[in-house]
Amino acid sequence: MGYAELFAAYGEKYLLAIFETLSMTVLCFAIAMVISVLVTVMRVSPIKPLRLVGDLYVQVFRNIPGVALLVIVAYALPYLKVLMPWKVCVEVVVVLLASAFGSENFMTGINAIGVGQIEAARSIGLTFTQTMTKIVIPQALRSAVLPMTNLLIATMLTTALGSQVPLNPQELTGLVSFITTRETAIGILPFTVSAVIYAGFSVLLGLAGNAIDRKVRVIR
Amino acid sequence: MSAHTVSMRDALYEAPGPKTRRRTRIITGISLVLVAIGVGLIVRQFYVTGQLDAKCWSFFLRQGTWRYLFNGFLGTMRVAATAGVISLVLGVVFMLGRTSGIKPLEVISRVIIDFFRGVPSLLLIYFFYLALPQYGLRISAFWMITLPVALAASGVLAEVFRAGVNAVPKGQTEAALSIGLTPGKTMFKIILPQALRIVVPSLISQLVVVVKDTTVAYVVSYPDLMQNARVLITNNDALVQVYFVVAILYILVNYGINQLSIYMARRSGNPIISRTTENPT
Repeated sequence: MGYAELFAAYGEKYLLAIFETLSMTVLCFAIAMVISVLVTVMRVSPIKPLRLVGDLYVQVFRNIPGVALLVIVAYALPYLKVLMPWKVCVEVVVVLLASAFGSENFMTGINAIGVGQIEAARSIGLTFTQTMTKIVIPQALRSAVLPMTNLLIATMLTTALGSQVPLNPQELTGLVSFITTRETAIGILPFTVSAVIYAGFSVLLGLAGNAIDRKVRVIR
Repeated sequence: MSAHTVSMRDALYEAPGPKTRRRTRIITGISLVLVAIGVGLIVRQFYVTGQLDAKCWSFFLRQGTWRYLFNGFLGTMRVAATAGVISLVLGVVFMLGRTSGIKPLEVISRVIIDFFRGVPSLLLIYFFYLALPQYGLRISAFWMITLPVALAASGVLAEVFRAGVNAVPKGQTEAALSIGLTPGKTMFKIILPQALRIVVPSLISQLVVVVKDTTVAYVVSYPDLMQNARVLITNNDALVQVYFVVAILYILVNYGINQLSIYMARRSGNPIISRTTENPT
């Protein structure tokens, strides 16, 4: 089977799979950003229990393997009467994992600002809210561009977890295993196609992230 | 978490006055209650669905259960260690190719590095599991999981090594070349040994990614921790308990590796270069 036959038979499925991977990536990344901001606010707040919960959240979800979390969400939670569609299971897992790393990125961005700047801001009489909105957050966002670009790429790669549950339509990795299991003599063709699509998007996102970073970077 | 987390967190606030202190205490109290309610609801959900019943947990008292899980853990460590070593070697090779100064070699290395960094490790595992056998290539389950995990890590490691090489001061190269060392000798005798020392904390933290990737070993039926957990579940009918215990084991192992890399980073003063801090292309 050559490229022509592959696309004649599975072209439409491939298009659907690309859309599935990309739409899951964008949706999960957007939600993960919101959650990581919330978690980061908890972690820098003066409220001890909230700090602890935030730290625990990050440590749990940055250290748990994606597959281990997926089997819990997809197969263990139904026993606890928490039943979600397969796709939502995958999305929940990707969001939990990505938001933990997102919060770490924000924390690194905040830490990079330096205590001196905060002290300077306070000594000229800025309030806490002013210090946060005028000094901390703008700089933290700028220095987070590069790590967040990498997180976006990692989020896309994490959606490959969708191949471990029955999705319809399938995403790029699940589609490859579907095709290769059915066409026993197809060889590496479906892999090459999916891999090139993944790697292509990774490189494109990386280039875009670099360009934005060069524009907004804070040089210290 | 970085070394400055606490100091930076505390710098954000002035020493609170009596009013603020009272308000902080009240909010702390409220949030404590909310956290307690949250935990209570989770425990209640476990309880009402019968997942806290003694019969669901009793087999964890048997020695055989833990021995079986420990064997799985050894399998995980075997794959992670082998994949780690292979990816170290490949990472250095790809990095040398990319910084060699020979154009075609640079381009090829770059394509390889970008490819392995930009492709999900699951896809690589399916490649070894489903595609290679179609060409009559038969490899054992161990290598079917180890090789893709190693390849996926090698791309990131190449970039970590490159960052390490770049962190060695330029003067070192200039000095080595000016005393008549060849470029090759300069790299292997002067730059690489220093670069390796710089990236030690980053290499340790990268081990976490390798350990995580090994969890897909059940796809190829290699008896790692996750695969043995699945076998335990079919034998004991305690899915929730086994998956939660195994997840906690993974979290503890990875947390330990992370803390070790942070400790090494603090002791040596070399920052942790990871997938998220390095330049994406």
